[in-house]
Amino acid sequence: MKKITIDPVTRIEGHAKITIDLDADGKVADAKIHVTQYRGFEKFCEGRMYTEMPAITARTCGICPVSHVIASTKALDEILALTPPQAGINIRKIINLAQLLQSHTLNFFHLSSPDFIYGFDAPKEDRNIFKMMQTHPQMARDGINLRAFGQKIIEELGGKRIHPTGVVPGGAAHKIELSQKEVILAQIPDMLKIAQGALEFFKTNLHKFQKEIDSFAAFPSLFMALTNEDKTLEHYDGTLCFMDSEGNIIKDAIVPRDYKEFIGEAVENDSYLKSPYYKPLGYPQGMYRVGALARLNIALSCGTPLADKELENFKALGGGKPVLNSFYYHYARLIEIIYAIEKIEMLLNDDETMSETVKITSKVSKTRGVGCSEAPRGTLFHEYNVTKEGVITGVNLIIATGNNNLAMNAGVKQVAQAFVDSKNITDGALNRVEAVIRCFDPCLSCSTHALGIVSSKIEIVDHNKKIVKVIDRN
Amino acid sequence: MRVIVGYGNVLRGEDAFGVDVIKKLQKFYLKNTKLISAFQLTPEIVLELLEADEIIFIDACSNEKNHYTLACSLSEQSRFNFSHHISPKTIIAMLESLYDKHPNFFIYSMMTKSFDNIKNEKIYKMRIEQIVHHISSAQ
Repeated sequence: MKKITIDPVTRIEGHAKITIDLDADGKVADAKIHVTQYRGFEKFCEGRMYTEMPAITARTCGICPVSHVIASTKALDEILALTPPQAGINIRKIINLAQLLQSHTLNFFHLSSPDFIYGFDAPKEDRNIFKMMQTHPQMARDGINLRAFGQKIIEELGGKRIHPTGVVPGGAAHKIELSQKEVILAQIPDMLKIAQGALEFFKTNLHKFQKEIDSFAAFPSLFMALTNEDKTLEHYDGTLCFMDSEGNIIKDAIVPRDYKEFIGEAVENDSYLKSPYYKPLGYPQGMYRVGALARLNIALSCGTPLADKELENFKALGGGKPVLNSFYYHYARLIEIIYAIEKIEMLLNDDETMSETVKITSKVSKTRGVGCSEAPRGTLFHEYNVTKEGVITGVNLIIATGNNNLAMNAGVKQVAQAFVDSKNITDGALNRVEAVIRCFDPCLSCSTHALGIVSSKIEIVDHNKKIVKVIDRN
Repeated sequence: MRVIVGYGNVLRGEDAFGVDVIKKLQKFYLKNTKLISAFQLTPEIVLELLEADEIIFIDACSNEKNHYTLACSLSEQSRFNFSHHISPKTIIAMLESLYDKHPNFFIYSMMTKSFDNIKNEKIYKMRIEQIVHHISSAQ
């Protein structure tokens, strides 16, 4: 038996290694993703004042800091027993959607599109952003413009593009000025055009990737997401919903503060990434997926016209049941980009948003708070325990990427079994093993709490557990 | 126009070298110069560089042996390691390929073996002054 190791995994955020175990016949027996970095936020936040938590936990990530700020301030809203004014909530929602938009844009235009343009078997020298800039310059410019749009909103309303400070317990730090609103609204038509163009490109090219659609983490699993009572798409409010692979709602209306009754957190000794699971089904049978695919499977509608039209097409892929193919995460993210642009426009045109009162203040009223929001990659939980003086005594974070850990591992195994031939290990096969992880758009720095330097390695281990080959993907 | 981009994490000691140089430069009146302070280089920063005839990137650079040496270097770990933060080389490639812009560019790096704290504040500040003097006197 041999083991193949992909280390570092490329075009993802963070450090990871993949090992592929081969049996005595040289067939793939198992495959795993190992997240090799440790952060430790849960421990070093202990002893800090609750007021510091949004700023500290935003440093968990340079790409989705807004999600952490939102979940953190929502947890503190509970501790302070505050309900922010509607204007403050709307500002938070706009910033959250702007981040979703820029993050999804980065994944599609800059990380994943080289595979869609040149194919998974293209020489790796061609499968990158540099080649794309030469052959598809307009697409690259579109990606830059769309990301700039999201980042600018975060900067304008949140104070900074990265690690914004404008989301605070009790609401938002500043009201939106009319001039800011007008500048954002003026860009909406162009941004929608870019987003719709990207989705059209993806749909037009989908037929080239049937093998990948069928083998990239395409299996039954549960799905979890925040959703509203009427099952409209939600990224900020709502309650938690679990759906099975047949489309049955198996548990609905879970208040986020009760998450521990339904979500267990397993730890494997070969990865720093926790493996959350749906408690009633046990570990690992309680595997579930989160993120754009889960959100669109659970949502009955987006609540915005253009996204709703695309959601209909998306739902048709599942034939009345949830879409189980993780390759369609890309599809779902593109629909969510359209949704985010439309929703930002709706929120900006809501009269409440422009209200002068954007926050309220209070003192510590409860000793436990849970904040939950939909990050680009899925459902994010921040739980804090504090003393009555406001000193943090306990922190638990369930990061969006971690929720997908079991599914990513199952996906890596499925792809390795479909494409890796131990007698002829091609770069295309190894690229697919990485690409299945990229479907989930994992943020590994975020999920284990290290520097955002990308890395990737593949190890091949024989049936005697001896490493027979190491492939460095750099 | 000349654009000077200093980048780094101000919470991480010497990693903040580029940002600290920009803070100093803000006290000077530099003609026809735009100063940008950033946590990291991201793709959309190219939109702020389109008017530039000359770009100066200022950063701290990992080097175990030559701590506090000032250098001009375009080296990077891997040109394909593209995630949410990118290198000056990628930024220049984007300007050339996507916008047909071909500015002169320079990279001023301070070598450090200590991103997480300032090992010798006196030397650190001296290096900032050296870069600031070099840039401001080149007007």
